[in-house]
Amino acid sequence: MKLYFKYDRMVACNTLVGEQLNKLGLSYELVGPVEVEIKDPVTEDKLKELNTALNRYGIEIVENQKSVLVQKIKDTITEVVYSDGELPVSKISAYLADKLKYNYGYLSNLFSDVTYTSIENFTILQKIERAKQLITTDDLTFTEIAWRLNYSSVAHFSTQFKNATGLTPSAFQRIISKRQNTLPPDK
Amino acid sequence: MFIILADDDEDDRQFFKDAFNEIKIKTMVHVVNDGAALMNYLTKENSQLPHLLFLDLNMPLKNGMECLKEIKSIERLKDISIAIYSTSASEEDIEETFVKGANVYIKKPDDFITLKKILSKVISVNLQYHTSGLDRDNFLLSI
Amino acid sequence: MEIKEVFTTSFFLKSIFVAALFGLIFISGVTYKHTVDLEGSSNLVVRSYKVQIGLEQIISLLKDAEAGRRGFILTRDSSFLFPFFNAKEKIFASFSELKELTFENLKQQVYFDTLFNLVYARFTVMARSLEENNLYPLNASQFNNSMVLAQDEMTLIRWQIDRMIRLESSYLEEQQHRYEQELNFTPFINLLLLFFTLVVFIFSYYKINKDLENQKKVNEELIISNESIKHAEEIGDFSTWQWDLENSKFTFSENQYRLLGCELNAFEPTIENFLEFVHPNDRSYMINVGDQVIAKKKPSTIFFRVLLKENRLRYFKLIGKRLTDIQGKKIIIGITMDITEQKLSSSILEERNRQLELSNKELASFNHIASHDLQEPLRKIQTFISRITEKEMANMSPAGKEYFSKIQTSAKRMRVLIDDLLAFSRMNKIEKVFEDTDLNVLLDNARQELAQAIEEHKALISSDPLPVLSVIPFQIQQLFTNLISNSLKYSKPGVVPIIKIQCEKAAFNLNSNTHPDTHHRYYKISFIDNGLGFDQKYAENIFLLFYRLHQDSEYPGTGIGLSICKKIVENHYGFISASSKVNEGATFNILLPE
Repeated sequence: MKLYFKYDRMVACNTLVGEQLNKLGLSYELVGPVEVEIKDPVTEDKLKELNTALNRYGIEIVENQKSVLVQKIKDTITEVVYSDGELPVSKISAYLADKLKYNYGYLSNLFSDVTYTSIENFTILQKIERAKQLITTDDLTFTEIAWRLNYSSVAHFSTQFKNATGLTPSAFQRIISKRQNTLPPDK
Repeated sequence: MFIILADDDEDDRQFFKDAFNEIKIKTMVHVVNDGAALMNYLTKENSQLPHLLFLDLNMPLKNGMECLKEIKSIERLKDISIAIYSTSASEEDIEETFVKGANVYIKKPDDFITLKKILSKVISVNLQYHTSGLDRDNFLLSI
Repeated sequence: MEIKEVFTTSFFLKSIFVAALFGLIFISGVTYKHTVDLEGSSNLVVRSYKVQIGLEQIISLLKDAEAGRRGFILTRDSSFLFPFFNAKEKIFASFSELKELTFENLKQQVYFDTLFNLVYARFTVMARSLEENNLYPLNASQFNNSMVLAQDEMTLIRWQIDRMIRLESSYLEEQQHRYEQELNFTPFINLLLLFFTLVVFIFSYYKINKDLENQKKVNEELIISNESIKHAEEIGDFSTWQWDLENSKFTFSENQYRLLGCELNAFEPTIENFLEFVHPNDRSYMINVGDQVIAKKKPSTIFFRVLLKENRLRYFKLIGKRLTDIQGKKIIIGITMDITEQKLSSSILEERNRQLELSNKELASFNHIASHDLQEPLRKIQTFISRITEKEMANMSPAGKEYFSKIQTSAKRMRVLIDDLLAFSRMNKIEKVFEDTDLNVLLDNARQELAQAIEEHKALISSDPLPVLSVIPFQIQQLFTNLISNSLKYSKPGVVPIIKIQCEKAAFNLNSNTHPDTHHRYYKISFIDNGLGFDQKYAENIFLLFYRLHQDSEYPGTGIGLSICKKIVENHYGFISASSKVNEGATFNILLPE
């Protein structure tokens, strides 16, 4: 039988991190969504061990400040996009600057340097990803999805989707559903 | 980023390597000449798997679609991001390759600058999929 | 119809005939009775009158006797005694006779007895008086008394006799009355029966006559029909046969022998003899099918080969069907046809078709491959040019730059042409699957495809609901995309493009330049825009391959878009046409069969 599931990445990650820290016998405190304060002193080796263990789950210990900030930018954007219209998305730039307490220009440059892609592109990417998720799991019309993701019209949504992925939303939907019918169940 | 390209055309291979050299993102590119060589490499134990695999459709011995099918059926290989790289095809055929498991479809461009742009975009998107926890099953890009 | 049928069944006729016969017999019976009754009646009359006369005779004889007595008394002439004795004798003879005649009438018998007494008494008196008179001389008063007595007694007798006569009369009347009724009734019945019987006979005569005529007609028609069948068989190269299952008898038509290359009646019509002609490899197959036909009621068709004299091979087709004929016998009827000519010509046709198909496939394949394989070198040319311009532009002379620029333009043009040819070559319909598709979904997809262009032009697109049709989905989607894209491309600058898509049913194709088809009902889908339009005189040309109405510099394109549209519509057995006026928009009408 086929199983579909949604997951809360935050919870999953934090649980995993917690488990690994416990394994290594480190006491810790969850300070933020991706921030952990380790009470005990940690050696370089232990850190490496922890990192290796976490890598198996696709979790990385972010090395430096810049990366931290970039991650924060990413997370903020992700949060906004996945809020399905709860949080205002009209001026992401203003929102980011405001939330992270940095000048947007600085944030923008930093982001591009580290990730080789712009904040705008990343935002669009996230929105499109969310759209893809909604298309494949929920029974929403494209119009509804467009509204949720704060597009001014379904045409605008279609345009951006096509520009980002090269496929129209309906073509995408068609392909995914055909895939689910033809690929073997263990995929 | 470790990238493998399989293409039987010498000029295309050269274009590819040159383009990658001129892109900002640091990449390591390995080229093979045909499908058989590709599968040989991939199926070797402990071979380093690429982050992204570019497959030309028209290759002798084993063409791109056959390789795609094979890769998708091998446990160790099926999660590799695959970009089909080909001369123009109809919308139907493009959709077909996606259905068969490709993540990216690239129509071979007519000029070098466009090629660089395309590759750049593909790499960067692929990077996002690796680093930002995006759902790889939804990774579909047609350029 | 049913009642008429009842009238014509032979059973009904037979029963009517029997009824008529009975009618006749009945009439005879009744007539016989009538005659007997008549006789009876007249006998009765005779008898009655005999009685009456007899009775009158008695009176008269009595009077004679009286007269004789009186005469004798008066004259003492013994010749007067003669009538007296004569009368006595006769009277008493009459009595017994009359009594016998009236033995039925009891009352009359009583009367007779009374009369007899009276008469006997009278005679006794008369005899006595005669005796007395013989002895004495005539006594006037005695004579008067005996006269008066005689008168009274005679009166009594007279009355009695009158009574008896009256009785006899009334008896007669009574009987006659009875007879009368019967006799009146009988002729009436007779007449009725006669009439009925006459009608039946006339009807039967008419019917038999008609039947006979029909039979003659049918026979004639049968003869003509048989003749034409024979001719038909000869011309059509087939023969008919019949196989009586119950006594295993075969009947061949004349042509059967001819078909098998033999003289008429050259052999006994049996299965074995027929099978002799059948190709040895086909014999068991034929026998199998024969068994099947006997078992089933459905007709069976078989094809087999026949070897005539000198080993000439012919192809035959046989159709057999099991029937139960009018008399209830089980028979198989069938025809055998010589289809050698047809088979040969159809083989030739098949071969030609096969070659044509092959040729078509090759051409389509060639087209596809050519366009496809031409792309590679072209792409390389363009890519290398782009590298050169990127790397070496700085080092080139202006002339060199210009040349390269021209090369690039030409290469681009070639690219576009090849792309279009490729797109066109893909629009074949070999191996394409027709699926029931909602055209509204396809239209939606087309709008999504062109979302950006639509947005840029701020175009407004409205459409009627479209039907679900059996189509090749990608092709129809391409058709819609091409048409909308065209409308956008040729929109009036500065004017918001409005594209209306209408749909209605059409009875048949109204265009003059295309032929009506076996499909009779179409959906007419019209794409109406408010763009630049074109001169109506080009309305047919625009669908030609690579036909262009504008310069490349004004509106880039190859002119293949509409030819692709036409090819797609033709693939679906439909029709496309365009109508327009310069600067007043254009309308494209597509007819797709239901």
